[in-house]
Amino acid sequence: MKQLYKQTKTKWLLLFFAVVAFASCKVEHLTPAKESVKDISGDWVVISATRNGTDLMSLVDFSQFKLSFKDGKYTLVNRLPFLVSKDGSYSLDDPQYPFKISFTATGSPAVATAFTYPIVNGVRQLTLTFSPGCPNNTYVYTFKKAN
Amino acid sequence: MRSFLQIKIKGRGLWYVCTMLVMGIVITCCSIQNFTVDQPDTAVVGSNVDFKVHFKFSNIFADRTENFVFGFLVPKGWDAAHNTKIKYTSTAGNGNLVLMPNTTLEPQGNGLNWPASMKKKFGIGGNLIDDMEWVVYQSDVGFPLSNGEAITADLTISVKVGADGNNTLCKLGYVIAESYDGLKDPDSFLDGGEKYEYYAETITSCFQLTGGPGDVVDFCNPQLSSYDPPKTLDNDFFTITYDGNVATTPLNNAAAVYLCATGNTSDGKSITVCEQTAKTKLTQTAAGSNRYKITLWPHQFFGLSDAQTLTNMTYYITDASGSTRVGYGNTTAPFVYTFKCK
Repeated sequence: MKQLYKQTKTKWLLLFFAVVAFASCKVEHLTPAKESVKDISGDWVVISATRNGTDLMSLVDFSQFKLSFKDGKYTLVNRLPFLVSKDGSYSLDDPQYPFKISFTATGSPAVATAFTYPIVNGVRQLTLTFSPGCPNNTYVYTFKKAN
Repeated sequence: MRSFLQIKIKGRGLWYVCTMLVMGIVITCCSIQNFTVDQPDTAVVGSNVDFKVHFKFSNIFADRTENFVFGFLVPKGWDAAHNTKIKYTSTAGNGNLVLMPNTTLEPQGNGLNWPASMKKKFGIGGNLIDDMEWVVYQSDVGFPLSNGEAITADLTISVKVGADGNNTLCKLGYVIAESYDGLKDPDSFLDGGEKYEYYAETITSCFQLTGGPGDVVDFCNPQLSSYDPPKTLDNDFFTITYDGNVATTPLNNAAAVYLCATGNTSDGKSITVCEQTAKTKLTQTAAGSNRYKITLWPHQFFGLSDAQTLTNMTYYITDASGSTRVGYGNTTAPFVYTFKCK
């Protein structure tokens, strides 16, 4: 009789612990994280450049060229052939999910190009494609933030 | 005991029948024969020139309706698609060729359209400047072909040549094919062992345009000086290559070579940059190659204002003293390059 009582008590204890264990589980409420606004402020330098698919970095010194973004404006330092030839303002078509970036040089109409902003080896890169001269010549500059 | 020989003969007969059946299924169409091209050696820029093509289109084994296809390799500067009319006369009727839609895939092209497939297969026909294009046409109607039938056709390709105004020397290319088989390579086992050609291709000798207002642009012969890209404006990066191997020039043993150039602007100014410094020095492409190149941003090189643009530049290649110069065709006349896109 004592044996039976002990077995029953064990079963109830196990059940009790099981219920307590499940009850202690916290239900996690998942809320979607808000997509960050893309902030490209800062100084960007060219890390790779091509013209019609062939490398330009070995032909041209890009080390002095800088593209700076601040408070809706951009400046070109030691400029080289680019989408625009003068400083001015810029905008993204959608601050959270940008597909296009527009540059409006002072006194000129806006020019836009695809906004390619991948993370490569943990670091943001900015890749822009444009034709500064003949439309059939395609240039691709990839920028990284200057240190 | 059954004769081994008997069995062997039976097997051979069956094998022959099976082979012919399989061949009958696999073999699709037609052979291009008697392919000839008739073109002049020279023409005046802006004139209408007739290029003539003759071929025979033989159909064996298959009953099918097909268009015949014509590909034309020409300089991009001719804008051939807008400056060409092609008529055909044939034993199956007369008509016009129409431009092949860019969406039509070449049957052997693994997803490429006809112009891209021709460029991949035939390149740019041995021309030395990559500024050529394959323009592709097809007959305006399909031809219903039946087993054993043949069609003989003549094309007259009327082109207003030299739309870009340049006195171009180039090799032209011609391809005849049909819409079903495309650029299929010859089968060697067909028709009693005779090679079967599904397409025919030829590149002509150098064709020369004269009398135009533009530059002499030579696609045929190696040049002392060449450009990448071939067409630029002053806001492009522009690479000039000087190839000292093309001819024996006074610069043959120069330790270093330099650019001596004059830029002519849209507002009538001439700016000369003729210093033998790091700014104008050409870099040898590899040690001992005797090929040198320099990449400029012409707008900056000539110190232009934002309002100015360059229309052309004339230049020499010089030694470090600046007194030994090489010009166009290894003469004392300068090289001339015009900044334009077409």
